[in-house]
Amino acid sequence: MELKVNQDNCLGCGVCVVACPVNVSISPEVAGGHGSKTTETIMMVENGVIKLFSEDKCTKCGTCQKFCPTDAIWLE
Amino acid sequence: MVANTKEVKAKDMCVKRSSPEEKRELSFKDEICVGCGICEQICPVEAIELGDIGAIVRTGAEVPKISIDENKCVLCGMCSVGCPADALEFKLDDISIKEMDEYPSLIKSAEIDDDTCIYCKACETACPREAITIARSLPDRSKLVTGEIEIDKNTCISCGVCEEMCPADAIVMEHHEPTSVDPTVSSDIYVDKDKCVYCLICRKSCPVDAIKAVCRSCSYGDYDLKPEDSEIEGSSFIDDESCINCGWCKEICPVDAAEVKKPFKGELSIDQDKCTTCGACVDICPCDVLSFPKPAESGQIPEKVFKDERFCIYCGACGKVCPVEAIDVKRTDVNYTPTKSKSWKNKMESLKS
Repeated sequence: MELKVNQDNCLGCGVCVVACPVNVSISPEVAGGHGSKTTETIMMVENGVIKLFSEDKCTKCGTCQKFCPTDAIWLE
Repeated sequence: MVANTKEVKAKDMCVKRSSPEEKRELSFKDEICVGCGICEQICPVEAIELGDIGAIVRTGAEVPKISIDENKCVLCGMCSVGCPADALEFKLDDISIKEMDEYPSLIKSAEIDDDTCIYCKACETACPREAITIARSLPDRSKLVTGEIEIDKNTCISCGVCEEMCPADAIVMEHHEPTSVDPTVSSDIYVDKDKCVYCLICRKSCPVDAIKAVCRSCSYGDYDLKPEDSEIEGSSFIDDESCINCGWCKEICPVDAAEVKKPFKGELSIDQDKCTTCGACVDICPCDVLSFPKPAESGQIPEKVFKDERFCIYCGACGKVCPVEAIDVKRTDVNYTPTKSKSWKNKMESLKS
């Protein structure tokens, strides 16, 4: 399975960035709702939409998909 | 050369090899699979791969939880023996190797003793796999209470108070609408003595004292009640296919009627500092061992993830799904029937960590 995003659907809310358990362990400040200070995280909101940076780190737990309100991020 | 073939039916699959001497068949049922990955670990030729189990279970993806490479599979059957859920079945000439003494098999079972069971349904409610069905027939209510009741229809003013108050719905009135021809509200009134529990509420609430009623059970105790009339009969059923031997039934049973043997012993540890409460482990655990605790009072911070190891079978699914390696599942003991084969014994022992 692969992590996919659809930027057309994305609201840029950043819920996936905060919910992702791997992101938090890479960049703890995202847990507080702040933007990541590094591009080492799996995904980030850039210019108002979601963008994948280090998708190779994804463990495919499905948490981002569960929380995304617009089906803009999913595993396929 | 005889090659393996694979049949795929929705998310289930079957790898087969037939030669004139012998038919070997490995089948996988996705619905029963708990995603623990023991099959992947025990396979001697790396033919089994566990899927992205977190995503599959949590997003309902239409992919099987494991994949079997039929070109690598040697149809040895070890995966079926290690599977704690019996999602994998290996047959030699149509007979499961779990029924053959030569092969080892995990010692696991769940039983409910019908002689001890009081059919309270606690196990049915608690079972995380909905594997238990309790069928029961309750005693006749009319045989558990006796008394007498009589309504004096001449005194009765058809007010309907008793009908409205009766908790057992034993009083029924046929209401009559007054007309100029018959300007009364006199209605017929009946008491269903099979439903009446002689609570005497009707007698006490009747505004014109039209009801005479007495409860014999109150006056004479249980004197004229037969103990056999109050017996609850029933039967219990455990669906072996769904049962994962977690022990919920055993722990929750108030009369110790359930007996469960678990295939593994071990230890489950959670690093609360590493946990980010994503919930993958809670969602995947087949035994409802893990849950998110609610604070006892506001302001209190409870543990991130709560575990109750009484229900754990140490399958290791939670540890494999955790994205931040916050869960460690150790297996210290594997319960299996003896085998003479050293390689099979070694494989069973290799499930210990």
